[in-house]
Amino acid sequence: MSELRTLVVIPALDEEECIGATLDELRRLAPDVDVLVVDDGSRDRSGAVARERGVAVVRHVTNLGVGGALQTGFRYALEHGYAIAAQLDADGQHDPAFLAALVAPVAAGECDVSIGSRYVADSGYHAPAGRRLGMLLFSGVVRLALGRRIADTTSGFRAYNRPVMEVCQHDFPVDFPDAPLLISLGRRGFRLREVPVRMRERRAGTSFYTLGKSLYYPYKNLLASLMAWIQRPV
Amino acid sequence: MPFLSKTQIIMAIAALGLAATVLDLVRRRRLSEEYSLLWMVSTVVVAILGFSTPVLKSVTHALGILYESSMVFMIGLAFGTTMLLYLSVRLSRLGREHQAVIREVALLRHELETLAGREAPTPGAGA
Repeated sequence: MSELRTLVVIPALDEEECIGATLDELRRLAPDVDVLVVDDGSRDRSGAVARERGVAVVRHVTNLGVGGALQTGFRYALEHGYAIAAQLDADGQHDPAFLAALVAPVAAGECDVSIGSRYVADSGYHAPAGRRLGMLLFSGVVRLALGRRIADTTSGFRAYNRPVMEVCQHDFPVDFPDAPLLISLGRRGFRLREVPVRMRERRAGTSFYTLGKSLYYPYKNLLASLMAWIQRPV
Repeated sequence: MPFLSKTQIIMAIAALGLAATVLDLVRRRRLSEEYSLLWMVSTVVVAILGFSTPVLKSVTHALGILYESSMVFMIGLAFGTTMLLYLSVRLSRLGREHQAVIREVALLRHELETLAGREAPTPGAGA
C-alpha cells in the first residue's frame, strides 16, 4: 500500500453481530491502515466490540445517519493528519481485499474520490430488482448532471483525499451520501473514478436502507441530486 | 360605514387578545422576540381590518375578493402558511446545528478517553 496514511472509517449502527468479523478481516487483509469506527448511536454493543479489538471508536449520542457518521470520520481524519479516508461498511458487504486497489488511485493523485463499483467488471453481485431500478435511476441522474457515467452511485465503498474531506466539512448531504454527493463533488471539479470491487451479502443485522426509508430515500435523493446540480458550489 | 358587524367585532377582540397573549409570553420569556414579530404583525393586521370597515371593504375589493369573510380566511391561511414555512426553515437549521454539536461531543469524548488511556498503561498500537 502507499506511504500516505490512510484511515478506514466504518459507520456502525447496531452492528454488534458482524462488526467484529469485519474488523478481524480488515486487520488480516489490510494490517497497515488505521481504523475508526463511528458508532452512530447504536443501542447494542457495536462500540464495545470494536473497542475490544483496539480500534478507535467515536460515539454519537443519537443517530445521525451514514452521512453524519462519515462527516465525523472526515473531521477525525483531518485533525489527525490522514491523507486519505476510506469508507467501509460494518456489515461485511465490502471486501477489505479490495481496499488497496480502492485507495491506490487516490494515493497516486490520479483522482480525488475513488468509488468501489460492483458494475465496472463482473463482480458476481446481484441486487434485488427494486434496488437495481433505483441504481439505474440515480446513475441516470448523475449522468445528466455530470455528463459522464458512474455505474454504482450507491456504493458506500469509497476513498477520499484531504481536499474532498475539507469541502465535505461544510457541505454534505447528511442522510444518504450517494448520488447527491457525487454530483456535488463532480461539479466542484473533483475527479471521480470507479474501481472494480466485489461485494457480498451483508453478514447480519439490517441495512441502513430499509422499510420507511425505501420511499423517503428516492424522493430525498432525487431532490438532493437536483439541488446539487443547480446549486452554486459554496 | 360607522357600524361594525358582529364578525368584525369578534375578529378584532380575538386579535387584541392574541396580541396580549403574545406580549405576555415574551414578557415571561416563554417566546423569543424573534418569533413574536410574525405574530404581532398578523394580529395588528387583523385588528385594523376588524375595527375599520372601510379598510376591510377596500382591501377586499382591491384584491378582487367577493366577500369580506373570505378575505379574513385568506389572511389567516397566509399567516399560517408563512409561520409553518418559517418554522420548517428554523427546524432545518436547528437540525444542522444539533448534528454539529453531536459530532463535536463525540470527538471530544474520544479525545478525553484517549488522554485518560495514556495515563493508564495500555497496549496501544502506534499510529
